[in-house]
Amino acid sequence: MQTNITSTASYDLLTLSGEVDLHYSPTLRENILGSLKAGKPLLVDLAQVSYIDSSGIASLVEGFQTAKSAKLGYGLLNVSSPAMQVLTLTRLDKIFALYTSTDQFETALQA
Amino acid sequence: MTKTKKLLDFQFPARADQLCQVRQRLREAMGACSKSEQLVNCVLLAVGEACMNIIQHAYGKDEQGDIILEVEKHGSNVVVFRLTDFAHHKTRAQDMQSRPLDEIRPGGLGCHIINEVMDEVQLIECDSDCGNVLQMKKRLRKARH
Repeated sequence: MQTNITSTASYDLLTLSGEVDLHYSPTLRENILGSLKAGKPLLVDLAQVSYIDSSGIASLVEGFQTAKSAKLGYGLLNVSSPAMQVLTLTRLDKIFALYTSTDQFETALQA
Repeated sequence: MTKTKKLLDFQFPARADQLCQVRQRLREAMGACSKSEQLVNCVLLAVGEACMNIIQHAYGKDEQGDIILEVEKHGSNVVVFRLTDFAHHKTRAQDMQSRPLDEIRPGGLGCHIINEVMDEVQLIECDSDCGNVLQMKKRLRKARH
């Protein structure tokens, strides 16, 4: 798994690539919670994720809950097919806010 | 009598850093069974979840040991995955049950994924004091009704 965080004026964008499993999910959790702790909305780009297991999904859920408590915007961007398969299996595709562009997320933040 | 073909017999340390290699070996083995990328991905996910359960719950933080992953093709349509561990913790059938999905919280989704993907999930009784054997079956094609 590789991660990259870029900051815009209104939100952080965390880009993930590769395989997210139990070995890497603690790093993902740190990245997500660290970013939200700074008080900015977070968009997690999953376009390049080729595999994600329930430990990776747990980190995304923890981010969702943390953002909700802090009233910060939070969403998933361009969810790859393997990642969507897991979200669908766990029915979390109905829980997360899913976006297909950063513009969509920015619009949602302003709403 | 159904013909059985062994596709994989792989022993590895029960550690998170081994999971990538397990998926690689399993993907190679599944190549002989299915050309469906979606099916193979689901199987990789479910077997990965079962390995993760062994690492986190059977061995836990205080014990180290190995896992054996065996894969067999039974006939033309059934693939059997058997995971053997040597942990002192005995896994019970109720430990393998899914949790309600309307509880939105981190964790506890592994068993749900295994039960959704696999057609049969069974803990096999073993005689020794240590260890668990989890057997999962996946039909490659669903029966037509």
